[in-house]
Amino acid sequence: MLKFKSFYSALLFVFILIIFSGCVSRQESGKSVITVWHWMTDREPAFKELSKRYEAKTGVKVSFELYVPSDAYSQKVRAAAQGANLPDIFGILGEKRDFSSFIKAGFILELTPYMDEDNAKWKNYFFAKALAVNEFNEGNSYDIKPGIYGVPIDIMTIQMVYNKALFKQLGLNPNRPPQTFAELLDIGKKIKAANLQGLVSGWGEIWMIDCLANNYAFNIMGKDKVIATIKGEVPYTDPDWIKVLSLFKDMQESGLLASGLVTMVNKTAEQLFANERAVFAFNGSWCVNVYKEMNPKLEYDAFLPPKVTDKYPMAIWGGAGSSFMVSGRSKNKEEAVKFLRWLTEAPQQAYLAEATNNLPANKESINKIPQVLANFARAMDSATHPRVWGVSEFSPVIEALDKGIQSIIIGEKTPEEVAGEVQRIKERELKKRR
Amino acid sequence: MKSGLYYKTKKVTLNLIIHLLLLTVATTCILPLLWMISSSLKTQETIFKDMSIIPRVFHFENYYQAWIEGGFGRYFLNSIFYTVAVVIGIVFISSMAAYAFSRLRFPGRNVLFFIFMAAMMIPLQGSFVALYVLLNKLHLRNTALGYILCMINVGLSTSIFLLKTFFDKMPKELEDAARIDGCSKIGIWWHVALPLAKPVLAVVVILNALNVWNEFILALLIFDSRPLMPLQVALMTFQGEFVTRYPLLMAGLTIAALPIIILYLLMQKYIIKGVTQGAVVG
Repeated sequence: MLKFKSFYSALLFVFILIIFSGCVSRQESGKSVITVWHWMTDREPAFKELSKRYEAKTGVKVSFELYVPSDAYSQKVRAAAQGANLPDIFGILGEKRDFSSFIKAGFILELTPYMDEDNAKWKNYFFAKALAVNEFNEGNSYDIKPGIYGVPIDIMTIQMVYNKALFKQLGLNPNRPPQTFAELLDIGKKIKAANLQGLVSGWGEIWMIDCLANNYAFNIMGKDKVIATIKGEVPYTDPDWIKVLSLFKDMQESGLLASGLVTMVNKTAEQLFANERAVFAFNGSWCVNVYKEMNPKLEYDAFLPPKVTDKYPMAIWGGAGSSFMVSGRSKNKEEAVKFLRWLTEAPQQAYLAEATNNLPANKESINKIPQVLANFARAMDSATHPRVWGVSEFSPVIEALDKGIQSIIIGEKTPEEVAGEVQRIKERELKKRR
Repeated sequence: MKSGLYYKTKKVTLNLIIHLLLLTVATTCILPLLWMISSSLKTQETIFKDMSIIPRVFHFENYYQAWIEGGFGRYFLNSIFYTVAVVIGIVFISSMAAYAFSRLRFPGRNVLFFIFMAAMMIPLQGSFVALYVLLNKLHLRNTALGYILCMINVGLSTSIFLLKTFFDKMPKELEDAARIDGCSKIGIWWHVALPLAKPVLAVVVILNALNVWNEFILALLIFDSRPLMPLQVALMTFQGEFVTRYPLLMAGLTIAALPIIILYLLMQKYIIKGVTQGAVVG
């Protein structure tokens, strides 16, 4: 009993000691002038290095604070906004709706006047499409004053990549990816004959199918007709849509698609391509980093999905990868803006791209980065994204289209059947909203 | 009439089936642990190519690298500090509260107890913003004390429930005997109830230690200063947006799992007792 008593007393003593030690106020060093909150683990060392360079140049200390995973980071930002504790610079993860609610509450500084200074010098650093994600146009549905509210740090595009060694093995020129869809199908036949795996991608996570289908829809019928379909003015049973759906049947029949593709998650697809077990992959520009980690010796390059027709340009999904915002209530607004301007200048952007393998948002830095990254970045001219179309398709319609494509690939349904089903769902959804 | 051989064969077959089943369950439980240790000794490249449990080349340097890159030294001490403080706090407060709920008669006792139980149903994420604002107003945000108090609060409901269930079954005669010897209510709690509750206290300790040791979301929310963060936050640094550094992450996880495994092994005897408690108390 005595032993237990003394043990318990000791525990109680330690607890009281701890509580009192916790009461000692913790003072921050107070040296940090600008605080940046971010969630980008892979960019943390590069940010730290750039912060050192900025301090050496200007004497202003920038403290990058990393909070991961990204969903916990988002919660922290929301809580900090409620508690009026937002840092000088931060990023918002989520939809444009969340972004707009922060602007409405006065948590984000409008950057248009800074971007427009000196004949829009800062604004001209960026790919226009990278800036679009952070921009609210006249008459936007969020009721936000038109302007720019964020600074893109990097960009991303989703394209095709091919394995150069396997191209050689197939007797193809490793420096010439297919230029047309017909060429792509021919390579598919060679892949089948050589008993290799063709295209891998995360088509089990169906949004990537949606992405490729939209790319070809833009190429076959043009942007206006795609938008008209979303608005309900053109049916999915239109011959152009049947043509888009038929491409997937053609790809499957040629032997281009790897086995198990419809249930494949992107991590598996990345693993297969990095280990040289697939000739093609359809993936985002982040894959450069992923492939480098999995197989540094991998020889590959990026290319636009080969066009079906010359009638309309090929469009791919792309835009701003990560963006930073300046707190509207920060005491260091001006310093924060100055730092972001410096961070997005060509030399710093080139350093970030080189150190992190992410595409720079500054278009002038393309010439200073590795070829595969530059190829991904150059495709920004062909980039689009559903977020900037101004209209969005109903979720059940997107799901029906993507799952329908999966059914076409496994030979369960014909393109015409899928088009009919998607149109029926579209009409049902339109009726609900009327 | 069935022969002895029949019963012997039946017994052996039944035992074989039971043991096969148990072996399967045990393997399923231990396999992730083995995979974690195995992956911690591979490279980023071989982790995707070499699927064997025993790596061809052992890369013990991953442990050193994870320790240095993750800044584990500081975070490890922080986690030990938070775990010890929170567990002591929970054991102290919940044992007193549970004893009061079990033995004292006061108005609103049941309502208060049900409120505590209802708190168990609220997910921690649901109270993040409110907690952040409250800690901010109390000037406890970004302090170790703020985090410790929050974590004590998180673990109280379950611990009170476990201990109250135990105290309810404790024979009243033991307390009467102590009272005759001149013990006060606090004295009975201290000298009689607590020593008898050792197995349940062991369960409370291990459950809460595990909870605090593995917690990081609340820490991420409350702390701005990295030097105050617990070990689990350091592990997250190996997990990128698109790339995860698996060997370092697995090495880090192995390091992080060790103290809890050791604690479990030390308290195993009491935990088993605690789980099976109920038949005889006192």
